Amino acid sequence: MIYPPPLNLVQFSFLAISEQYLSILTQTPIRLINYRFRYRSPPPFREIDDLSTAIESSPILFPCHFRAVFVNFDPNSYTADQLSISVQAHMAKFAAKNSPACGTCASNVTVSVTLDSNSNCISNGNNVDWKCGALNEFKFAEKHEDGLLDEDFASLLDNNSGAKVYTVVAVKTEQEEVRAVVGKYRHAWIMGRIFEEEAIEKIAEIFVNVFMNGGKEEGLIHGEFMPLGADGRIVLSFNLLNADPHNWIYDWDFQEIDENLLSPVIDALKPLADVSVESQVLYHTPKSSFSFWDDRLDSYIFSTKDLPFFVNSNEWHLDTSVAAGGLSKILQFVVYVPSAKECPLQLQLPNGEISTTNGFISPMWGGIVVWNPSACLTDSKIKHPLRYKISSEDSRKLFEVFMGQLRQLFGLKSDGLFVGASGTSILLASERGFSEWELDVLSRQHSCFNLLQCGTTLGSLSRLVQSLPRMIIMDDIGKQVKYSLEAARLTLSNALLGIYDASAGMFYSSAIWMDCN
Amino acid sequence: MFKCCLHSQLQFRSETSLESDHLMGSREPIVLIFLILISTYESSAKGGIAEELNEEFTEGLLLRPLPDRKVLAHFHFQSSVPPTRIYGRHHHLFPKSIYQLVNKFRVREMELSFTQGRWNYERWGGYDPISSSSAKPPGVELWADFDVPLDQVDDSWRNLTHALSGLFCASINFLEHSTSYSAPQWSFHSFAGKLRYGTLPREAVCTENLTPWLKLLPCRDKAGLSALMDRPSIYKGYYHSQRLHLTSDDFGTAKSNAGTMLEQTLTVVLQPNTLGARAMVSGKTLQPSWSLNSLFGRKVHGKCSVSKSSNVYVQFEQNLVSELKEVRKKSEAPESGILIHDDFGNNTIFEMSASPDRVVKEVENLQKEDSSILLEFLVEDYNDSKPFDLGLRWKLPVVWSCQQAPLHASRFLMGSGNERGAIAISLKSLSSNNTPTVGCCEKGSQLRINIFQVVPWYVKVYYHTLKVFIDGELQSTMENIEKIHISPSEDKVSPGVMEMILRLPCGVITAALTLEFDKGFLHIDEYPPDANQGFDIPSAVVSFTDFQASASFEDNLLNKLPILNELQERKHVISYTEVLLVPLTTPDFSMPYNVITITCTVFALYFGSLLNVLRRRVGEEERRLKSKAAKKKGPLTSLLSKLSAKLKGRPVEPPETPSTSPSLINNKLVLKVILVAGIAAGWQYYFR
Repeated sequence: MIYPPPLNLVQFSFLAISEQYLSILTQTPIRLINYRFRYRSPPPFREIDDLSTAIESSPILFPCHFRAVFVNFDPNSYTADQLSISVQAHMAKFAAKNSPACGTCASNVTVSVTLDSNSNCISNGNNVDWKCGALNEFKFAEKHEDGLLDEDFASLLDNNSGAKVYTVVAVKTEQEEVRAVVGKYRHAWIMGRIFEEEAIEKIAEIFVNVFMNGGKEEGLIHGEFMPLGADGRIVLSFNLLNADPHNWIYDWDFQEIDENLLSPVIDALKPLADVSVESQVLYHTPKSSFSFWDDRLDSYIFSTKDLPFFVNSNEWHLDTSVAAGGLSKILQFVVYVPSAKECPLQLQLPNGEISTTNGFISPMWGGIVVWNPSACLTDSKIKHPLRYKISSEDSRKLFEVFMGQLRQLFGLKSDGLFVGASGTSILLASERGFSEWELDVLSRQHSCFNLLQCGTTLGSLSRLVQSLPRMIIMDDIGKQVKYSLEAARLTLSNALLGIYDASAGMFYSSAIWMDCN
Repeated sequence: MFKCCLHSQLQFRSETSLESDHLMGSREPIVLIFLILISTYESSAKGGIAEELNEEFTEGLLLRPLPDRKVLAHFHFQSSVPPTRIYGRHHHLFPKSIYQLVNKFRVREMELSFTQGRWNYERWGGYDPISSSSAKPPGVELWADFDVPLDQVDDSWRNLTHALSGLFCASINFLEHSTSYSAPQWSFHSFAGKLRYGTLPREAVCTENLTPWLKLLPCRDKAGLSALMDRPSIYKGYYHSQRLHLTSDDFGTAKSNAGTMLEQTLTVVLQPNTLGARAMVSGKTLQPSWSLNSLFGRKVHGKCSVSKSSNVYVQFEQNLVSELKEVRKKSEAPESGILIHDDFGNNTIFEMSASPDRVVKEVENLQKEDSSILLEFLVEDYNDSKPFDLGLRWKLPVVWSCQQAPLHASRFLMGSGNERGAIAISLKSLSSNNTPTVGCCEKGSQLRINIFQVVPWYVKVYYHTLKVFIDGELQSTMENIEKIHISPSEDKVSPGVMEMILRLPCGVITAALTLEFDKGFLHIDEYPPDANQGFDIPSAVVSFTDFQASASFEDNLLNKLPILNELQERKHVISYTEVLLVPLTTPDFSMPYNVITITCTVFALYFGSLLNVLRRRVGEEERRLKSKAAKKKGPLTSLLSKLSAKLKGRPVEPPETPSTSPSLINNKLVLKVILVAGIAAGWQYYFR
């Protein structure tokens, strides 16, 4: 039998009195119990505080090595040391423009300069392995394809030492047009009729804005919101949505797409993240907002301001994946096949133009591409829906858009051009989606933000435990705290040495946070 | 009961809206950057096999009139995918979540059922394939067979329960404790040691479990037969069981190409709406007429566009068919023709709103004089403008009974008090039914019955007290038990499991098993909420291994349909017993509270009176009382006396109270009367 709580106020006050008496009587045992249950494995507070202050006080900057090679310049006008100092001065100027972001290079960069003119090489560094006169046989007058040139430079600059050195080769030629190209590896080249001062400024800009900062511009996704799980895993979930299968049913050969188009990208991202791919085809998935018919454009228009209402979370069962357990990050990529009622569907930019990719991204969530079937305009009064397959040509186009979206989600540029103060540079796109210097930028940022997060998590954990002395910390959690502290310290010391691939192990801190909660 | 609600969508929506601003600001992705090398087209080699093996989805609905004026509706959906090594891991129809589940936990076979209500074996049949496969114990039943090393089976099971719990928004994760699941050795399904079985008898089943189940279908409930699943209609029924059966041969060395198969069934028993009084014909009540629209409140608007076949069947059972013949003979001039060749759209006994596209007849068995009939209707030809609404209208009263299981199994508790009791399983032969005895006697003089029972650890069964009664007489236990396996319960570690094969003589009328038990004590933390309700002992599974519940149909079916395959599958006749409710000694949970309250009251009274006594000064109080009594008079009288004193020019005299009191009382009385009258008038007025 359960008695109702007393509503009588008098009884309440009696209760309060008697409770006091009770606690007086039993005070000693309660105290004893409390002391016995105090945390079993106290975390190392001092070390944690040291670490978190060390991380939070100054942004983690990585040492970077740069190399400038001047080919066919007049060896008498500047010495190598002068050039080096002048490049560094310009770099400092460029770096000062934007505050030191997390994951960029330290201010005391080393720039080694090699002057190569008529097979006479002058270097200021001692570890410069530029093959002197290698470009002598090179026919500069001819028009070269950038991709092939990139490979040539790669073979020239191939260093086996393993250190990551970013190189810009400035070549003075007779061509009027000055052409700056950033390759797929860790080098760029400038060719054309160019003077020393101009070349120095351009080199410094490429060093700072491209190799250090990844060619970022305003409006791109900040590095902190990189779609990477704390355990370094990403699940790319591709979804083909048939809005209304009564009209038509589209299917794709994802097996082929996975093997041919996605696997090089996944391989490229391997040092940064462990990527897994999954796919599904869904039916009866209308979008949740309406589009309107535009006579001028002869299609249904979906404007930018409605984009937040495009995703229909009631009907789109994109599903979290079993594979993405715990701390992994899922990126959804959606191909939306509109129904006959809204076909062709075009996305309109704020300036009134039609989007060329017909897609958009949502940071940390993924990307959506609207794909209009070719059968769209033909009258579809068919009793039974027809089954089609998206042709391999179309699916390749779709996946090019998706790759661009993926790059954007990582905060990289997707248009292949870098517009700087000293002119435009072409960024060569890798067939693997991400060029090597871009991956360097990403892993630097990732380890930096991971360390920051680790520091704050551990710091707040230690503050919490210190403010609640009665909180019980289990042994295994204490062990994890120690692990993550070790890992953070190791990462920090590695970062100072310039090894930023080995930044795994950060996920412990988040795990602890969840355990404690 | 714990009900989760995993809504990633919610989370996602907030993200989207948050980042919409970001989207506006960011440039439209103008991409198209890289040329991706197209490697040589290699899949042509395996294309030949892949074309034959493809993902398939079929849907079917079986309707069957039941003898007790109800209708059974059995939805059947099947998705299949060829093995991964041939087909790859990207799918077009098969649900991604289930495929990942199978692969992650290496599930070889799994069955999960959510049931509400109890299958009435006596009225709805106990011998047919549907009752053997779709009649499930109330609540949740889950069994799974894993393809992992023996020592990892328990871990896989635990992970699987958590994954399913998230997937189906149910408290399946309560099955992770070793006290709540068991590992049957041979009786339940014959898998060696890698099968785990668990039930949650008290799990409430509702739409939140159905919605994720529907999400596994490619068309969900947007199109096809599943569009019939109007939630109020299907949960209004007498029995509701949603089931998910999964088989996979992706692992292991078997080179079969069956792949992974997901079978989803929903079995409901509904009461057709009979408007007004029951229709009577010649003194007998007619069976209720029904249509899809009257049963579900919806019609079928065509098939699910991606399904391979989409059929509706109406089944007339064997007993009903013979009954129909009888009625026909009586009402008309006797005809020699069988019912098969009759017009099913409209005959003298019943009328169907659509004529069947095909009539499938069960192949007659030796024991059966008549065989059941399936009327097939194709949904493909119907669309929005012409929805499919199948109706059945009875013209003549028909009475029949369902085919019964060889013995009717029931289980009950014996004994009284909170200390000890006994579980009894009774098997009764139903006299109206002569099929099992026939089958039994042909096989030999023995009837073999397989019993599997799991008992939670707090019901401490003494297995040595097992007694077998046949036809009311105590028999020697060992003579009647062919095989027995017992794993006794271990406190707070594992439940007690009993598996046995009982051998009964042919022609047995009743048989009973009794087992005595003591009721254990739980720690106060282990009591579930509302412990006074009692504790459930999961259903025992009784299977008749000598009897096959399968119907074989005429083999002129060119394409074998999964729903018919399910009926034809050779399975033992299985029935589940009732869930037992054992009241355990529960502590008086309010006791500490009561003690505190009483103690406090006593303390308060003591201290209150003590304080009172200590603080009180008797002399002072008496003086105050006196002065108070002197001052005590009505405000009106004092005012009047003051006034009169002023008028007379004399000092105020204390008037004699008794002289003024009558008028005051009068005033008060009048006021009271007016108040009461007013209230009465108001009352009257208000409630008119």
